Amino acid sequence: MQLYHIAINNLRRRKAKMFFVLLGLMIGIATIVSIYGVVEAMKTEMTRQVTEFGVNVVIKPDAGGLTFSYGGITLPEIMYDVEQLTTDDVEAIEELPSRDMIRVMAPKLIGLKDHGQHKVIVVGANLQEEFLVKPWLRIREGGKKNQRTTRSEESALETELTEKTLENEEKKMDFEMIDLTRQELDSLNLLDNQIVMGSAVAGTIGVTEGDQLILSGKGMVVYGILMEIGSVEDQQIFMNLSMAQELLDRPEEITVIEMAVDYFAGSEEALLSEMNEVLPHALITSLRQETLRRDEMLTRLVRFGIAISILVLLVGILVVGLTMSASVRERTREIGIFGALGFRKADIVKIIITEGILISMAGGLMGFFGGTAMARYVGPYVSGMDIQMPWRADLLLLAIGAAVIIGLVSSVYPAYQAAKQDPVEALRFI
Amino acid sequence: MSEIMISLRDIKKTYRSMGDEVQALRSVTLDIEKGESVSVMGHSGSGKSTLLSIIGALNPPTSGIIEIDGIDIYKLSQEKRADFRREYLGFVFQQFQLIPYLTAHENVMLPLTTTKRSNKEKREMAEEVLHRVGLANKMKRLPNQLSGGEQERVAIARAIVNEPPLILADEPTGSLDTKTGDEIMELFQQLNQEGLTVLMVTHNPDNTRYMSRTIMMKDGKLSSDEEDIMSAITDKRK
Repeated sequence: MQLYHIAINNLRRRKAKMFFVLLGLMIGIATIVSIYGVVEAMKTEMTRQVTEFGVNVVIKPDAGGLTFSYGGITLPEIMYDVEQLTTDDVEAIEELPSRDMIRVMAPKLIGLKDHGQHKVIVVGANLQEEFLVKPWLRIREGGKKNQRTTRSEESALETELTEKTLENEEKKMDFEMIDLTRQELDSLNLLDNQIVMGSAVAGTIGVTEGDQLILSGKGMVVYGILMEIGSVEDQQIFMNLSMAQELLDRPEEITVIEMAVDYFAGSEEALLSEMNEVLPHALITSLRQETLRRDEMLTRLVRFGIAISILVLLVGILVVGLTMSASVRERTREIGIFGALGFRKADIVKIIITEGILISMAGGLMGFFGGTAMARYVGPYVSGMDIQMPWRADLLLLAIGAAVIIGLVSSVYPAYQAAKQDPVEALRFI
Repeated sequence: MSEIMISLRDIKKTYRSMGDEVQALRSVTLDIEKGESVSVMGHSGSGKSTLLSIIGALNPPTSGIIEIDGIDIYKLSQEKRADFRREYLGFVFQQFQLIPYLTAHENVMLPLTTTKRSNKEKREMAEEVLHRVGLANKMKRLPNQLSGGEQERVAIARAIVNEPPLILADEPTGSLDTKTGDEIMELFQQLNQEGLTVLMVTHNPDNTRYMSRTIMMKDGKLSSDEEDIMSAITDKRK
């Protein structure tokens, strides 16, 4: 027989009272867990959206005057005495101390080229990076697969492996499509004589996958055609940056550098200031408005979550504390007996605190399961986002931690009350 | 030469109640030898329960010295005094005072809870004393599943499980019928014969038959007057 046996037996005896305390605690902890879980999941989702779904920093030559638009970004068209961006600038950015904040950097050269009577827009870029900053881009599935068979033997094995991966990935759910696209990125390593065409321009010229297209006397193989998406990419021909520079006769030149920056990974100000320092001739635009708006929303959400959690924690402490206090008052005589039988004050404190912690931990465990289930199944409807809420060990620790805090804090005063009881008064010797 | 188990020297106890001073004990001096069984009688308010609580290391006197087995108990710290109670004293309270959510077996184990003995040892010690008081077959019962006499036996088992040299009992037969009360008193007598010192506060003069000495208390003092004792016993028996 140990002190905790006394605590456990007492809790077992007061089943009805303990059930309500447990229920209150469970609801409290479940609220904390579900709010924390949903907020965390939303934060992850929003960070992913901010950093992966589109570009949030654009670097272009600093030039006034006439401009033309590319994908919603205004670019200088006539560049008198304008210092162009070059591949050296890209390397300079790679060397920045805050480089880690940049998830994706997509430098590209854009220019016009004649093809027969058509003028086509040529975009020289790393196709993998383009797909990373524009996840809505897809290559028409059938064409790409056919085209793969024409690739060199050297890459055949790699392609085969990728295809196997893709077959497995096909079994996944819709919400995993974005990640599925990432798996495909490996296959987007274009050779210098390969191009990917927008659907509209491919239609206009009348080419399909595997066809050859002559540009400035160079034969280019159509590796794939983008699915129609109704944006500027439908009109563009993508190729490797070095090939575009050669074709357009603009060696080393870069028209624009698009970036996806993770604002959660560091200071935006520091990154921009570093970039301004190494690229004094460039105009750096941070598309921060959207990010800020999301940041602000997220911050509010987090604050709201914290406020609710603190409130719930306080209510939990109050509920357990009041119950424990009432329990101590009811047990005056019993505590007097403990004292008379030779229990030290510390032993009595241990019994009361053990009771508080036991009931709180049970509430914490139940709250964790209840809260996670709520976040999993109700969270997506409440937040309006396709959030994923796995069973998380860290949340379990949070629930147990919060429960232990509730148990400890709420039991301290009742335990003190119990310990200071005079056994003589308790037993009414007088 | 016999040894002294309890030595009280000029014990006074004053309570303050709503601004008034109430003298519960007025200069009590008393020696009880080891192996004695002493009953303390007296009217309500005579100070006998206060005396018991003071000897029980629960209630410091206003003045005076009390030694148990040569230990000046109120010079000990509160925590040491708790240890002293556990090791030296066995309490049998009024109304049994068993813990309602613990079985008879667990109730008996209570004084052993904070000792360093193994759980197995604690269980065996409790079983042994329950066997001794005739409750070996009712160990798993909760107090409310036991009769008054059985509850009293559990309370006695709890008082002796730690093998203390001194048993303090406060009206142990107060809520029992005569027959059961006599059985309980026989149990106390048996414990005394085994060497335990027993000090019992009682209203029941019949209980004095089982004790080696009876002390009468009157207005917070010991009465040495044999007549007082006899009249008290006679009054009660009427």
